[in-house]
Amino acid sequence: MQNCQRAKNEGPEEIISGKNRKGFLPFIGDRIMKKKILVVEDEESLRLLYEEELTAEGYEVLTAGNGKEAILQLQEGKPDLVILDIVMPVMDGIETLGRILGKGRKIPIILHTSYPGYREDLMSWAADAYITKSSDLKELKNKVRELLEKKKD
Amino acid sequence: MKKVLAMILAGGRGERLYPLTRDRAKPAVPFGGIYRVIDFTLSNCINSEIRRIYALTQYKSTSLHRHLQLGWNFLAAPLGEFVEVIPAQQRIDDHWYQGTADAIYQNIYTLQQEWPDLVLILSGDHIYKMDYRRMIAYHLEKGADLTVAAIRMDRAFSREFGVMEVDGNGRIIGFQEKPEEPKTIPGDPGGILASMGIYVFNMEILVRRLLEDARSDSTHDFGKDIIPTMIGKDFALALDFRIGDRGGQGYWRDVGTIDAYFEANMDLIAVTPQLNLYDSQWPIVTYQPPNPPAKTVWAEEGRMGSALNSIISNGCILSGGNVKRSILSPKVRIHSYAEVEDSILLEGVDVGRYAKIRRAIIDKEVQIPQGIKIGYDLNEDAKRFTVTESGIVVVPKWIKL
Repeated sequence: MQNCQRAKNEGPEEIISGKNRKGFLPFIGDRIMKKKILVVEDEESLRLLYEEELTAEGYEVLTAGNGKEAILQLQEGKPDLVILDIVMPVMDGIETLGRILGKGRKIPIILHTSYPGYREDLMSWAADAYITKSSDLKELKNKVRELLEKKKD
Repeated sequence: MKKVLAMILAGGRGERLYPLTRDRAKPAVPFGGIYRVIDFTLSNCINSEIRRIYALTQYKSTSLHRHLQLGWNFLAAPLGEFVEVIPAQQRIDDHWYQGTADAIYQNIYTLQQEWPDLVLILSGDHIYKMDYRRMIAYHLEKGADLTVAAIRMDRAFSREFGVMEVDGNGRIIGFQEKPEEPKTIPGDPGGILASMGIYVFNMEILVRRLLEDARSDSTHDFGKDIIPTMIGKDFALALDFRIGDRGGQGYWRDVGTIDAYFEANMDLIAVTPQLNLYDSQWPIVTYQPPNPPAKTVWAEEGRMGSALNSIISNGCILSGGNVKRSILSPKVRIHSYAEVEDSILLEGVDVGRYAKIRRAIIDKEVQIPQGIKIGYDLNEDAKRFTVTESGIVVVPKWIKL
């Protein structure tokens, strides 16, 4: 039953490259299996940094410079997880979070901000994780992996 | 003392109350002569010393807004007290409220601003008197996450209510929304434990459950979604209405249909109504414009301005016409030789000479022409008016007769 559902969601290639056969068709397998992460971050240098680091981790990375772009990317790029900055121009992360929830999307969301104070914003409680920005991206990477694992279950 | 914020759900369309809800939301429907339905819930709040109150509206809220502006602006804003209307404003998302839980979720910023310890969620559609302090005390004493007020109802009405199943300690272990086959009360196969739509939530739990619900495939309703998911996970309790019932008569009515509305109004003309409006320790507050007292004129053979077993509001003049077992809102005028029986006449209705009205509800300002008969030939009435199953005729606002 579960297999059927997976097949329906992820298309026929997934069956060909299915877990057991990984390595059998490495190219297709890699391309299909890559999880997509949407990084929403207004500061260009940080955005590039996160993109690079997460790509190196084996993810496909989409980027957006504010909430509005993020909403478009969500619709078009169909990411598996969102890393969402809070303080951004045009549409901030908290409002973006509300928009994502309103669409009934169950996509995991990590709030990623320099300001721990936004935990007092009740909407921030809707996120799956709240991570304060740090030069060490270990916590962020671990959380990404953890949430994607959880999503698979 | 814990900080309590009351949120009254006042957005219901009240479709089954049509045409009384054609121009107003259900909580704004006039009741008992001088009141609006929402006055009972609001008065319960004030009399329970709860003075931070939001009314969440959605449809046709002008009439309600105006009533609250006129009648309910007496609280002390500098002390953080208020009765305030929040219209649906698509603050978080670009749709109208989808369910009762969605209405609170969309106003999550209000909770953030007030940051109460407890949130008391109420419906603006019910007629009853209840001391919410008793419910809150119970909630705190038991250490509950959620407490739901419950009342015994006959099993036959299960499709109109959320039906709860509780264990020996009052903990909710089952919740069915409007079931065909309800769980009955142990030892009382004819009775069900119905949710009254009155909830006390710990704020933090409420917010977490609302946010989870917002992300799930759900109808975003307290009865259908939130409470069932809390069972087992959180500590949800049922509270027997009798613990908080002010007056001790167990009186609680959902005036959801015209017939129920009619009956609940008529309950008030009994010699000793179950719902006591005369309790000076529990005033029911409303807005009343400065009308002169009610008056009767003419006392001749056959031309007698009189009223029997009725409620007559200020500004009424019974001028040579006769009223029995009826409820007259302010400024109703009954002209000579007219007869009104078992009816509800809302504000400003004018009944012409020789007119005869029986078992009818006449909405505001309707002019009843001379000699007309309403409620005597239901087939005829049904051509122009709404006639309910039990034969109540409703004459809508604005109609020209």
